Amino acid sequence: MKLTVPYLGHIDIFLNAMARKIGPEFVFPPKTSSRTLLLGTKYSPESACLPFKFILGNFIEALEKGADTIAMITDHGPCRVGMYDVVMQQILKDLGFQFDWIAMDDTRILGDYLLRFNRERKKRGVSLWESLQAIRFSWKKVKLSESVERMAQKARPLEVKRGETTRVLTDSLRWIDEASNFRELSQTHQQCLEKFNRIEKDDTQNPPKVLITGEGYMVINPHANQDIERRLGEMGVEVARTVWFTTQITHALHLDLFNPKSKRKAIKASEPYLKHNLGGECNASIGYPILFKKEGYEGVIQLLPFGCMLEAVAKNILVKVSREYDLPILTFSLSENLSETMIDTRLGAFVDLLQQRRGRKRNR
Amino acid sequence: MSLRIGIPRALLYYRYFPFWKTFFETLGFEVVVSRPSHWGIIERGFKFADDDTCIPMKMAFAHTIDIKDRIDLLFLPRLLSVDGKTCSCPRLAGLPEMLKYSMSGLPAILDPYVDERHRNSSLFHSFSEMALALGKSPKEIKQAFQKAESAYELIQKRMEGGEKLPDLFEDVGKKNQTSQRDLSRKKIAVVGHAYCLYDPFFNFDLLRILEEAHASVYTQERVPKEVIDSEIREFGKDIYWDSGREILGASLHFLRSSEMEGLIYLTCFSCGVDSMIEPLVRHRAAENGKTLYLCLMIDEHTGATGVLTRMEAFIDLLERRRRRR
Repeated sequence: MKLTVPYLGHIDIFLNAMARKIGPEFVFPPKTSSRTLLLGTKYSPESACLPFKFILGNFIEALEKGADTIAMITDHGPCRVGMYDVVMQQILKDLGFQFDWIAMDDTRILGDYLLRFNRERKKRGVSLWESLQAIRFSWKKVKLSESVERMAQKARPLEVKRGETTRVLTDSLRWIDEASNFRELSQTHQQCLEKFNRIEKDDTQNPPKVLITGEGYMVINPHANQDIERRLGEMGVEVARTVWFTTQITHALHLDLFNPKSKRKAIKASEPYLKHNLGGECNASIGYPILFKKEGYEGVIQLLPFGCMLEAVAKNILVKVSREYDLPILTFSLSENLSETMIDTRLGAFVDLLQQRRGRKRNR
Repeated sequence: MSLRIGIPRALLYYRYFPFWKTFFETLGFEVVVSRPSHWGIIERGFKFADDDTCIPMKMAFAHTIDIKDRIDLLFLPRLLSVDGKTCSCPRLAGLPEMLKYSMSGLPAILDPYVDERHRNSSLFHSFSEMALALGKSPKEIKQAFQKAESAYELIQKRMEGGEKLPDLFEDVGKKNQTSQRDLSRKKIAVVGHAYCLYDPFFNFDLLRILEEAHASVYTQERVPKEVIDSEIREFGKDIYWDSGREILGASLHFLRSSEMEGLIYLTCFSCGVDSMIEPLVRHRAAENGKTLYLCLMIDEHTGATGVLTRMEAFIDLLERRRRRR
């Protein structure tokens, strides 16, 4: 079995580590390129949303590379991600690919999937202890890659040599992926900290802080949002984002009760504006800006794929949040017709606005 | 004077209006509906509404603007799940907030939250809570609710019998008139969301165009619920959208029947539900091969001539197929 999955943040680091310890073999789609999007757009239904097009393109390229099984999440609505699996299977079959399909239903993630995992484990002759260790190890790796990314978000606006942080980040992620046991991983951790400390920084700066929120796939994947974090960082902005691989998992498993910035808390914060939870990231997209405003964040960027059913609701409600919390919000509705210049121009104007607001406050 | 409750002629109006009208009128309220869509009304909504939503949503904005100064209360129910299994399009559920935060001068909004998946938000519970807040007694409410339910069921029955929604809405409660059936007529199925099918302004009077071209039009309301259920069961994936489930089930049923000559899927630009259901219907239609399939997508720029031309071509093709047989 050569399994492939859609990209979701650092899922590749997580599954690579699992695969090396206990299997099965993973074939990751080649890095998302313009060819990926071209393939995805060509074979997708016209009005499918951008994540559909990216994921379909990824699957086509992974199948070309030799994958024979696809694992894809499914859901019970109301977001259309729950319908992806039927439509994608049909498209891929029409294209003549042979593959097995594993639909991962998140509502049964605990019972059904633990059983299936256990069956797989026995078939491979891996002991329970070994597999638990493997999960712990992989989880630690993802945690570390995410904390490295957070360091990069802080360091990037202060760097003196443009692009140095991004280089250090790429190196660090590679080291983390390569570490093969707990000892090596903690060495890697030290190494990453050192590298980040050695980045030449201009500490006199006080960069504006911006939160990136919106639809999960668009926020978490740099290829989907045109590397918006790096762009903002290089414009001298400290960035935070709402969706991470680990937060998605802990939320699905109800393990984030004590996290002060969990999705659950964000949904609660959105209640004055939207009483009912509509599903997806809709309520969290409204709640997170409120939570982060209290921590001194000065601006919010909402990302959504064009035509998104849930984020369009959030977008309209964020107008009100923006007014009441005096918080500038910029919305990017992205489709496959992406233009880097458009993104840079709008981001530039937004950053200018944030700087001007600071100036005005100082003069008062 | 009794309170005037306003219902925008958009979205779920095209489905549940008989229910709402009977419910409110039995309780002694006056029901005011916005005027039928025309460009003067709709244009204002297009200016107001967000560009990430679909036309039906923009039309709901427009109809709300049209009605807001003539009413005391605006009725925008949030029907998340009416049968306890499926859910609605999330845009419809977020409509009250979207309107509230992007428009000023709105009257108070009645937005009963209906989610049959939870006991304390069932249709009856939510509607009676709303009516209690308006000062009605539980007994009155129960009566009105039962009356409304039977009015709704009657309309559903008559639609299964082949009557068209626009005619029915003119005479909620009047006697049944049986229409003449002509067997030589072409049978064409038209599927899509109720608010796409039954707003003649939106679809350039598609249903009339077809009927004038000697076709009998079948919509998804003609297919009984049990048939849809069994079609979906056979399809294998339980579709979770109420409208999407109906559309897919009815389309599969129509494609199966040997009499249906054409199937038209009417959709609007950037509809999330249709973007996933339409490819499935298209695929099945291509596999089946004997039913002529057309997907008609309507956006703000579609002109009446474009729709008319495509319909004429579609009907010509049907006739040519008939002659060849």
